[in-house]
Amino acid sequence: MLNVLVVDDALVIRKNITRFLTEMGHKVVSDAKSGVEAVATCKEMKDINLITMDITMPEMNGIEATKLIKEILPDVSIIMVTSHGQEELVSQSLKAGAKNFVLKPITKEKLEQTIGTLFPEYAKEEDDELLDEE
Amino acid sequence: MYDTYSQLLVPIISRLKSFLEDDMNIAVVNDESKIINSEHITLKENTVLIGTGGSVQLIITMGFDDLVLENLVEEFCYGEVYEGEELIEIQESVACEVSNTVIGNAIKNPIDDSVINITPPILIREAKSLAKYKNSMILETKIITVDGDIQLTVIGPKDVFSDKLDLKEV
Repeated sequence: MLNVLVVDDALVIRKNITRFLTEMGHKVVSDAKSGVEAVATCKEMKDINLITMDITMPEMNGIEATKLIKEILPDVSIIMVTSHGQEELVSQSLKAGAKNFVLKPITKEKLEQTIGTLFPEYAKEEDDELLDEE
Repeated sequence: MYDTYSQLLVPIISRLKSFLEDDMNIAVVNDESKIINSEHITLKENTVLIGTGGSVQLIITMGFDDLVLENLVEEFCYGEVYEGEELIEIQESVACEVSNTVIGNAIKNPIDDSVINITPPILIREAKSLAKYKNSMILETKIITVDGDIQLTVIGPKDVFSDKLDLKEV
């Protein structure tokens, strides 16, 4: 089970991502509605394994927050959640320390697949699907 | 100016239609959305503003009829029911999120290959009238769904208007 911090300025997205992660068996230890809140949370909570991070937020955007959080928690994995597929933003996010991307609209399947690429132990196994079919 | 604005609007119209039909199960009634160069517009009560930055500086608005927004909320929340202040906050975040997703997915720079940044969405909950002023331009279109309309506008240049679309004093 992963301990996850969900960062997004939209309440409905924080609720949906929390729902998806809980259904996958992970624990959402906290959420934040801005980059500033996310950085403050990471100073308080050291047991976070994964962060889902929106890019476009007021006060401090997700790319700036990612840079600061990687200084506090260098081992944490960060997945950017964004509506932009523009290469330049992808590149900036990866340079800041993000590990992967999910393009909005976000679904449980997209999130599960992306987490599986970072944490293979949580990847949805094809064998399970084959067994189900049998 | 007209070409730049309309070229920016066309992929957003297309993405909005596919988002409504494929992701939100809301049927779109009109197949062709006419882009009108307006002298004056009245924005809907639930209208989201998103600014662009970079080599293209303008404001994109997306306004929702009440029933369309209600159905978007229902789809986004997987049928979960909210009440009171929480419902209002959920409605606002759904309107902002739909606008952010559609515009973010579709936006392309019509001038060069540089990145167009978009600002966090702001929701205005009042019907607002706006007239063309000096060098400004207002392009408008609407998507008609079975539940009502979604009004899309591109307004600019951005520096003529305040954050809430009031004209700045020149």
